[in-house]
Amino acid sequence: MEFAIETNHLSKIFGTVRAVQDVNLHVKKGEIYSFLGLNGAGKTTTIRALLGMIRPSEGHVKVLGQALGPGGRGPWAQVGYMVESPSAYPELSVRENLEVARRLQRIQNTNAVDDVMERLSISTYANRKAGTLSSGNFQRLGLARALMHKPALLILDEPANALDPAGIVEIREMIIRLAREEGMTIFMSSHNLTEVDKLADRIGIIHKGKLVEELDADRLDAIRARQLIVDIHDLVKACAVLENFQVVQLGEHRLAIKNKQAIESPETIATLLVNAGTPPYRLAVEQEDLENYFLHLTAN
Amino acid sequence: MNTFYSAVWTETLKVRRSKVPLLTAIGFMLAPLAAGLFMIIMKDPERAREMGLLSTKAQLMMSTAEWSTFFGMLTQAIAIGGFMLFSIVTIWVFGREFADRTAKDLMAIPTSREEIVTAKFLVVAGWVMLVTILIFGVGLLIGALVDIPGWTNALAWHSFLDVIGTAALNLLLMTPAAFFATAGRGYLPPFGWTVLAIFFAQIIAATGWGDWFPWSVPALFSGMVGPRSEQLGIHSYVLVVIACALGLIATFYWWRSTDQTR
Repeated sequence: MEFAIETNHLSKIFGTVRAVQDVNLHVKKGEIYSFLGLNGAGKTTTIRALLGMIRPSEGHVKVLGQALGPGGRGPWAQVGYMVESPSAYPELSVRENLEVARRLQRIQNTNAVDDVMERLSISTYANRKAGTLSSGNFQRLGLARALMHKPALLILDEPANALDPAGIVEIREMIIRLAREEGMTIFMSSHNLTEVDKLADRIGIIHKGKLVEELDADRLDAIRARQLIVDIHDLVKACAVLENFQVVQLGEHRLAIKNKQAIESPETIATLLVNAGTPPYRLAVEQEDLENYFLHLTAN
Repeated sequence: MNTFYSAVWTETLKVRRSKVPLLTAIGFMLAPLAAGLFMIIMKDPERAREMGLLSTKAQLMMSTAEWSTFFGMLTQAIAIGGFMLFSIVTIWVFGREFADRTAKDLMAIPTSREEIVTAKFLVVAGWVMLVTILIFGVGLLIGALVDIPGWTNALAWHSFLDVIGTAALNLLLMTPAAFFATAGRGYLPPFGWTVLAIFFAQIIAATGWGDWFPWSVPALFSGMVGPRSEQLGIHSYVLVVIACALGLIATFYWWRSTDQTR
């Protein structure tokens, strides 16, 4: 399978700091992949490596099938991006900023600027200097630039930052539409777990520079569903004992059981584990959400 | 669409919309105005004293009021003031991408980083030459208004070439400023560099070794301390070209290969 993004053992060292360690990402074409992590976890460094802005200390990066090297034109005609906070030339108008982007992106369609302003609801501000925009509209301008050339891959760093609630919903719906209707691959980092939960097909969790977990659709469903959480010391033995139940491993000492019977009578599970000599130290029916899961995973 | 043309178009638009190049050009207009004022004073010092343009105690050390003196002042203004003002524009053109955090938007696009850097240098060169010609033109106008004696077409032409040559030498020496603006990711490091370059240019020129220090060469070329044939040799121009090349190579290398973390 050809991936939209592929990193193999990607590491980046700044001096003595390992910002990113051995990250293997495989983002499929057409999916919405969310990249979660605390501040300083390595999200932006990874994104910059994906965009060829920093050179990996170790490992390789491929974007849309092309290996990245320093300089050159790369696959950028098919990539749209917004890294960290959006930026624009403050003395240029919204239209001029987008015209600059259109020309540098080699977009032949001269209507592209008007089209994208319409799409991002910033046509009203077309002749306003970018430096005078509200932070929400400045964010929209950044998104407009990323989207103007209808890229095959969109890389966004905190796209909903600075947007009001209505703007967040609007951007979320747009991202879903871009992926579902236009087949665009979307790789986005976010702190907003609720947003990520609503958007992502897959989630990668990066912590202290390492990709500690990748959650696919099944794992996400498992997290979102009501389940019996079992915290236990001997996970291997517990898995063997509970092999007839729908067991999902959530961490080094945590299991989730989705089986309806187990959820309704947790004492059955407790009895089985006690009889097997591996008693649980916590048993609870929970409806886990991504936030709890993330906090659990990244807790020291 | 040609990406290099687009890069040049983009840089030109930024310069046109910003107040920085315009303000520096207007500031530079003070040079011919000041030179014109000196001409008025030198033409008639007593009348200048009566008008309050000159203190009664002041002793004029300059030569006579004539076009050759006036052109000499303009050339020297381009040599010293020009270096500072051209640096401001160079630093702004390169450093603003980091101050405004727009550099990252130039990194992963189909227009190569080399084309963007070349366009920036081209726009700086265009601006420097345009402002220089403008200053010379304003100088001619002011000189005519002041009615300076001693005009000849040959003198005007040679003076024009001197002014352009001085500006060109200064322009060649802008590349390290561009490098410090990009590597320093902003305005302060290149300004520090510019101040140091001017300082050392003065000191080294005063010691008589200016012909070996590239940043002293424009001032020596302008005739500030005597005929240029006595002050400069081929090696002086070669050193200016080497300094320019080093600045160019470092700037291009930085844009192409250095980690962009801002």
